[in-house]
Amino acid sequence: MTTLDKLHAILRRDLLTAVRHRSGFVVTFVGVFTELAAFYFLSRAIGPGFRPDGVEYFPFLLVGTGVYTFFVMSAQAFLSAVQEAQQTGTLEVLMTTSTAPAELVILSSISAFAGNLVNLLIYLVAGVAVFRASIHANFFSCALVLVFSMAIALSLGITAATLQVAFQKGAALLWLLSSGIWFLSGTMFPIQSLPRPLELLARAVPLTYAIDGLRRALLEGRSVTAMAPTLAMLAGFAVVMLPLALAALSLSLRRARQNGTLSFY
Amino acid sequence: MDRVVFESVQKKFRHRPALFNWLGTERGGETVALKNAAFSVGPAEVLVLLGPNGSGKTTSLKLISTMLLPDAGSVRVGGFDTQRDAGKVRRQVGIAIAAERSFFPRLSARENLEFFAALDEVPRRERWQRIDEVLRDTGLDEQADTLVMKFSSGMYQRLGIARALVKRPSVLLLDEPTRSLDAATTAHFWATIRALAAQQTTILLATHNFAEAVAVADRLLLLHRGELLADRALGDCENAEALRSFYFQTTGEIDERDL
Repeated sequence: MTTLDKLHAILRRDLLTAVRHRSGFVVTFVGVFTELAAFYFLSRAIGPGFRPDGVEYFPFLLVGTGVYTFFVMSAQAFLSAVQEAQQTGTLEVLMTTSTAPAELVILSSISAFAGNLVNLLIYLVAGVAVFRASIHANFFSCALVLVFSMAIALSLGITAATLQVAFQKGAALLWLLSSGIWFLSGTMFPIQSLPRPLELLARAVPLTYAIDGLRRALLEGRSVTAMAPTLAMLAGFAVVMLPLALAALSLSLRRARQNGTLSFY
Repeated sequence: MDRVVFESVQKKFRHRPALFNWLGTERGGETVALKNAAFSVGPAEVLVLLGPNGSGKTTSLKLISTMLLPDAGSVRVGGFDTQRDAGKVRRQVGIAIAAERSFFPRLSARENLEFFAALDEVPRRERWQRIDEVLRDTGLDEQADTLVMKFSSGMYQRLGIARALVKRPSVLLLDEPTRSLDAATTAHFWATIRALAAQQTTILLATHNFAEAVAVADRLLLLHRGELLADRALGDCENAEALRSFYFQTTGEIDERDL
């Protein structure tokens, strides 16, 4: 009950803060429709002959960019929350409450990710309803891909927070996400188009499996059994990354408390 | 049993200049914040930490709250070590730090208190009543539903005190709590401190204000450059002037009034 109560308090804080930034929602919705329109006309310009991984190009882009944006914006939202807490001095006070730092971080990140999961769903629904992207969804497979993807995104967010607390450089991970990983994860084109060494590198990036998994589940309606290898990879990344990220954060918080740098930014 | 115990506590802050320091003038080195500090505070006791800037007052409070960890020695609260049992220590401690803006600006005073009360595991059925009480005690009841981004310095400070009180801590840490408060609120606050002590709360209060020390303290620690120069009780007949003379004689600082 106590944990649910804390989660409720954190979700309420973030929701109230978001709705009181009055123009924020409007800007988000305008951004979603502009981006979708650009991808729709890009795929029309390229023509129906281009079918990466056997699907139409617009749905291919819709899922790729949607999942990629979910990862980046989630990590960004979480990092911004940590940076803001450092700047205002809230982080120090939060660390003196009865809630353990690791619990606090996980609950805060759930809130950051929940908002972006809603954005992802709006993005996908708008792509299907307004721009007529054809889908053949297997909802159970989609749900599993999203659960594992959230665990991986959570790990990335916690890692960004760790870098921020330890070196005041959480933005470095976001830079990596928005440059190298964007290029390697098959967001805009299939990774098989890359030269062989880069393709092998792309296969070591968890985002590649999240994007590919959601494409298979949402656009082709593949069953859980048919997607077992992709789901196993996603689960493997989640199981390894999440405990490592939490351990690193715990270490960086302890070091910051030792050095008195908790509120440095 | 003593509720807060410092045993040979040492704390230094190390400053490492940036990689390309030749571009600027940042100096490396270390600042000694506490040297072998040893003292204890019992239940129902109000201990005032007095000393100039950089004497180790805030560091002592942060060490008790677990915001900082000691380099050597130990800090125990209610029998729990702040390094090994930080969670158990945090459940007992409430802190109002001097950083004014440690709140969520787009939440109201009441919403901020609800948020922190949830994280401090204040039971839901008591939460609203306690929040009303602390808002009233700190004179913020009329601004309870105002977004804190519109608050003045004094209101932020009152809200910080309210946040520390809402969990009903057994150890209350206050860092210059009346710095931005008006005279009437300050007098009311001093009365609140004495009332809390009467209810067995241990209170440590860092201040530069001699009148405040005399008004609330049972005991006084005088710190100077991380060293504990004096640890003594404050008599009923002691006044702010006498304390001022004691302070300048003991620390060797220059009282501008004597110039």
